[in-house]
Order: sequence, then structure tokens, then C-alpha cells
Amino acid sequence: MQSVSSMSSLDHFWLVIFCAIVAFIPRFFPLLFFTKRKIPEWFNEWMRFVPVSLFTALVVKSVFIDSKYQIMTSGNLGMIISAIIVGVIAFRTRSMTLSVVIGLVSVMIFVLVLHI
Amino acid sequence: MKKNEPNWLVVLRTVMPLGLSYIPIGLACGVLLHAAGFNHLLTALISVMVFSGGAQFLIASMLTINAPMTTIILMMFFLELRYALLGSSLSRYLKGQRLPFILFFAFSMNDENYAVNYLKFATDKHWKPSQAMLVEHYSLLFWTVSNIIGSLIGSALTINLSVVDFALTALFIYMAIMQTKSRLTILVCALSGVLTIFFLVLMKSTLGLVVATLLASLTGYFIERHLLAHKPESHLLYKVHDPTGQTAMEEDTDK
Repeated sequence: MQSVSSMSSLDHFWLVIFCAIVAFIPRFFPLLFFTKRKIPEWFNEWMRFVPVSLFTALVVKSVFIDSKYQIMTSGNLGMIISAIIVGVIAFRTRSMTLSVVIGLVSVMIFVLVLHI
Repeated sequence: MKKNEPNWLVVLRTVMPLGLSYIPIGLACGVLLHAAGFNHLLTALISVMVFSGGAQFLIASMLTINAPMTTIILMMFFLELRYALLGSSLSRYLKGQRLPFILFFAFSMNDENYAVNYLKFATDKHWKPSQAMLVEHYSLLFWTVSNIIGSLIGSALTINLSVVDFALTALFIYMAIMQTKSRLTILVCALSGVLTIFFLVLMKSTLGLVVATLLASLTGYFIERHLLAHKPESHLLYKVHDPTGQTAMEEDTDK
């Protein structure tokens, strides 16, 4: 990861500005729209399922999909086991810090020490 | 919780687990951005302006493979589209707020502080939008400081970044578990997982995440509506057992 990008700091600055704009638009306008208008009941009922679907999607992406958008067939067993451990810890303890710390420790053991 | 605690301390206590989790993730992100050629000032700027672990990891890894700027911005657009869903689902708790508040609230909202605030709004009737804003600012502070320190120690340390990246994944697993209320939610999770793999491989972009999330949540909504109307005693509507005995996830405020 030591290959230095060909872009200058000024390029990086504009990149940050554009990314900030692109990040701001979907955060702002839906929020504005629905705080000003009455939200239909069905929409609330639907939105209840959004966070859980999204978080599952993000987890599945990082555990099973590689950077070229292909299914990882090897090298992710340590992550799968660690993910299960984190799930059990989160369910039993309901502690965010404990879940993250144990997750990190377990993935270090599996990936760095056991190489699975 | 003590009644006479000052507000800033109450909020800090709420945000502390997230803040602590941000330290390893933020450090890793700073290291990665440094490796991608960002100087310390730019790293600070991006942490404040973009404030998204996933997005910053993506930018850093795209820069190291010399991807053109337009490609990175386009990827960002698809990655950040999911915030439209987060904003919409929080909006019912932010009704009646003024435009500047909504503007600043949206600016610093991300996956993690959204989850903290959604949980608080859903379980604590007295949770105020101003406290939610403070949660965002505390998490922003933790995130930015961790990023800068990560950037400073950047070249001095060699860290396996795929391992530290797992901190973010662990955080998302925790949040998904905390949101699991009924057996139906578990079904929605499974569906979301399968759809995510299918659409990510099919579309070759993070837009697959948005499509999978939309389809899985809509399916959950329609199944719930059907069951409530036709089979109210269905096993799928049973609450999931909580081993700690907290009824934290009951959404009393809606009833």
C-alpha cells in the first residue's frame, strides 16, 4: 500500500470537496423533505426494516465480497468465524465496545496468527 | 442514570461506546489515507467534510490504485446514496426543527451515529433532537482526532489494514443485532444478505447495497402487513428473546 498517488494535494483538496458535496446531498434532502411533510404510516412501517437490512448488507459485503465485486471463495474463513463470534457477543452482552474489541482480537488471531 | 447529571455528560455517556470503537477504525483510516498520499490537513478536512468510515476507506483504496477522480466521485455517490434511507427513517423524530438545524444535522450524520440516535429515539421518550446533534458532534470529534493521529503515525507503523477494517464490520454486526426485534427481522436479515451478494456481483458497484436494502426492507414490510392482517398469531411476529432482560428495542413511543 505504499504506492503514492499521482495526484497533487490540490487535486486531493478538490476530491474532498466533491466527495463532501456528493455525501451531503443524500443526507440532507430526504431528511428535509420528510421533516416538513407528514410521513405516511406505511412509510414509517417500511423504514423500520431499513436499518437492519442495510447493516446486514454492509456486513455481508465486507465478509463475502472482494474489491472486484466477486464472491470470496478463500481467505475469509477467519472473518466469517469472527463475525459469528461478534454476533454472539453482541446478542449476549449488548455492549458495543465489547463487540468491537473482541471482534478485532479474534480477527487478528484468525487472520494474522492462524492465516485462515 | 442519575437525574442531576449535566446534559453534556449524559450524551457523552451515550456516545462513549461508539467513540471508543472509532479510535481503532479512525487510526486505521488515517494510516490508509496517509499511504494514499493525503497530508495531515487534508485528512482532517476529509474526516470533517465526508465523515464516513466506509467512504474514506474507499477513497484511500481507490487513490492507491490511481483511479481517476471522476470514478472515485461516482463510486462515492453510489456509496453515499444509502444515507437517503437513514435520513428518511430518522425524519419522524426531527419534525418541527428549523432549516439550519436540519442542515447541520444532515452534514454530520453517518451510519454509526445514526444507529446510536435511532436507538435512543426509539427507546427513550425524552431523547431530544439537540442531544442527537450533540451525539453527532462528539462522534465527529472522536473520528477526526483518531484520523489525524492515524495520519501522523502513518508511515511509522505497519498495520494489516484488512484486519483493522474489521472493526467497522464488527460495529455493523452489533447494530444489526440490536435492531433485531422479531423473528421476521431475522428473515429480513437473511434475505438482505442473499440479495446483497446477488446484486453486488451483478451490478459491480455499491449500488447493489442500495437495491438489496430496498428490496429486503420492502419484503419485510409487506410480510408484516400481510401477517398482521391475516395471521396475527404467526410465529414470525414473535419477539426475539433478549438475554440481558432489557426491553431496549421495544418501540413504545410509536404506540
